[in-house]
Amino acid sequence: MWTEKYRPRSLDDIVDQEEIVNRLKSFVKTQNVPHCIFAGPPGTGKTTAALCLAHDLYGEGYREHMMELNASDERGINVVRETVKTFARTRSIGEVAFKMLILDEADNMTSDAQQALRRTMERYTETARFILIANYSGKIIEPIQSRCAPFRFTYLPREDVIKRMKHICENEKVKIMDNGIEAILEISGGDLRKTENILQTAASVGKPIDAETVYSVVGRANPYDVREMMLTALNGDFVGARNKLREMILKYGLAGSDIIGQVHSEAFRLNVPDKWKVKLADITGEIDFRLIQGSNEEIQLSALLAKLVEAGSEIKRGN
Amino acid sequence: MQAQWTQKYRPKTLSEVVGNEEAKKKILQWIQSWSKRPPKKRALFLHGPPGTGKTVSVEALANDLDMELVQSNASDYRTAEAVERFAGRASKYGTLSGKKRLILFDELDGITGTADRGGLSVITDIVKKTGSPIILTANDAYDPRFSTLRNYCELVEFRKPSRTNIEKQLAKICSLEDIEAEDTAIKLIAERASGDVRSAVNDLQALAQGKKHLTYDDVSWLATRDRKDVIFNVLRAIFYAKDSLTARDAADMADVDLDMLFEWIYENLPYHVKNPEELAATMDMLALADTYRGRIASTQNWSLMRYFIDFMTAGVAASWSKKASGWVPFRFPTRISRMSASRADRQMLRTIGLKIGKRCHVSSVRAVKEILPYLRVMLGNNPEMATDLAKYFDLDEDMISYLVEK
Repeated sequence: MWTEKYRPRSLDDIVDQEEIVNRLKSFVKTQNVPHCIFAGPPGTGKTTAALCLAHDLYGEGYREHMMELNASDERGINVVRETVKTFARTRSIGEVAFKMLILDEADNMTSDAQQALRRTMERYTETARFILIANYSGKIIEPIQSRCAPFRFTYLPREDVIKRMKHICENEKVKIMDNGIEAILEISGGDLRKTENILQTAASVGKPIDAETVYSVVGRANPYDVREMMLTALNGDFVGARNKLREMILKYGLAGSDIIGQVHSEAFRLNVPDKWKVKLADITGEIDFRLIQGSNEEIQLSALLAKLVEAGSEIKRGN
Repeated sequence: MQAQWTQKYRPKTLSEVVGNEEAKKKILQWIQSWSKRPPKKRALFLHGPPGTGKTVSVEALANDLDMELVQSNASDYRTAEAVERFAGRASKYGTLSGKKRLILFDELDGITGTADRGGLSVITDIVKKTGSPIILTANDAYDPRFSTLRNYCELVEFRKPSRTNIEKQLAKICSLEDIEAEDTAIKLIAERASGDVRSAVNDLQALAQGKKHLTYDDVSWLATRDRKDVIFNVLRAIFYAKDSLTARDAADMADVDLDMLFEWIYENLPYHVKNPEELAATMDMLALADTYRGRIASTQNWSLMRYFIDFMTAGVAASWSKKASGWVPFRFPTRISRMSASRADRQMLRTIGLKIGKRCHVSSVRAVKEILPYLRVMLGNNPEMATDLAKYFDLDEDMISYLVEK
């Protein structure tokens, strides 16, 4: 997998996030690392920076001195009470006095688990340092934030993403056209993981990568289309729209929250009167909240589709 | 073949019979009153809804007291002649073994006027002068046909055991069968049985036999079997109810699983309600009902169930003009047939997600969402890359064919 093949191994290999990298290097030099929060959008190098830090700190055998946990997969309080605690309280055997615990997607931890984590971080500071990785640092409870040094990661600049793509293509002996590069940039924004995944997928076609190839593989990877579903409903075909919704949920395993998110952002781009856009935002918000409370995503989203049908018919009548 | 659990776990002694403590006490007192001479009322008339334990109580009693049980039920002819043959003698003479005898006329409601002509009056005669204790059972003791007979009997009412009592019984069976059952699953079975222990045990067996775990999901589609006609009628009654109370009552009218009923309503509603505004309003009611269902699931507060019912029945009926647009056939809810398939899908996706996540330093959820879609295309496009990637992620053949096929 190219994302892994080309993932930097050492802090020296990281070309971006200069300020952050410099501070991390100084940690390595002094052989002391505080608890940290790495926050920022996906694909900006948070996990990579943490892994590189561990690598530079402990050397090649760094895996023995660190533990990597993904809070989305192991988000309950028991993980903190058992796995994390057991790891944190035993002393490290190397030159560096502490071990390192990388807690990825930490913003998905339950607040109970975060409360438990807070005490653990405090008690075992001597033997373990924590690096919490999150998209939104706001989702980490205040007491933990105050115990950590914050690092804010930002999207990579365009030129650096382009440089990266060219470097990989050269190495893999893949030909890429300028319009191919443009297309990938447009789709992935500054998300490097997404960039490299699209690049590799486009390369798997086996011919020079141009814009057309990029759009076609991305279309095949994401055949569901939230906008299409919404337009179907606006046109008055509720059953058709509901079938599309079912397809997304059942066939592509999309979570209700993903669909809601896309519905929300599409709603404002639809060709409907502003009055309706605001109304739709209200309904979307209500449904978003209901989903959190444990309601069924298909039923709730169907109600929203029915509202779109209503909006469509009102617009046709000129309201 | 495994035994019916209703038989396998049939109470052997009176104390094992679920609930109805009062009735059991009365039965014991009455049978003890026979010890010297026949009491004033020589027959006991057990009455109450099906599955509340009338017959098993009598069997357990005979077993407890080591009596010989002689019984006739609805499958036997019960004409005057047949009853006389069966019970006339038994009520007069002792047994060969020297054991005391207990006579049971089971399921008296089953006596028909034509085929069993004269049966009831002979039973009444026998009861008047019997030398052995007689017990009668029926669902409704106040049926006018029993008015004479009733005068010679002591009435004992069997009530529906509480849901908690049934839950206990189900839990006991589960532990004996080595099945780990979710509380919510047991609860739902018990709830649905509404006091009928027999049907609860039957349902449990149908759903849990051969399993190691019984989850709420396994249970929630209970009672879908052969209830189509019933459901069609209920749906019609709800969609086209003349007022909200009628719509609400329709849900109680038939013994239909509520989650299932909800699916039927949700599936069929858009084919009946054509006006966009009304469609939005009725779907809104279903969403509201579903919200209550979510609250029930997360709080386990089943008393909220009534609101779930309110909105999916009365709420829907009250939100549209109910103009039938010709004859519209009812459709089977597609969600149900796809539900179990998608559960397997989800499991598969998670397994693959975990493998990818481990390699790519992301969670399984994110792997499925962000990486898997591209991986699928790569696997389909490029056999060489596919082999490498399969090895890299440690995917087996099943997983690969799952990914490529889709």
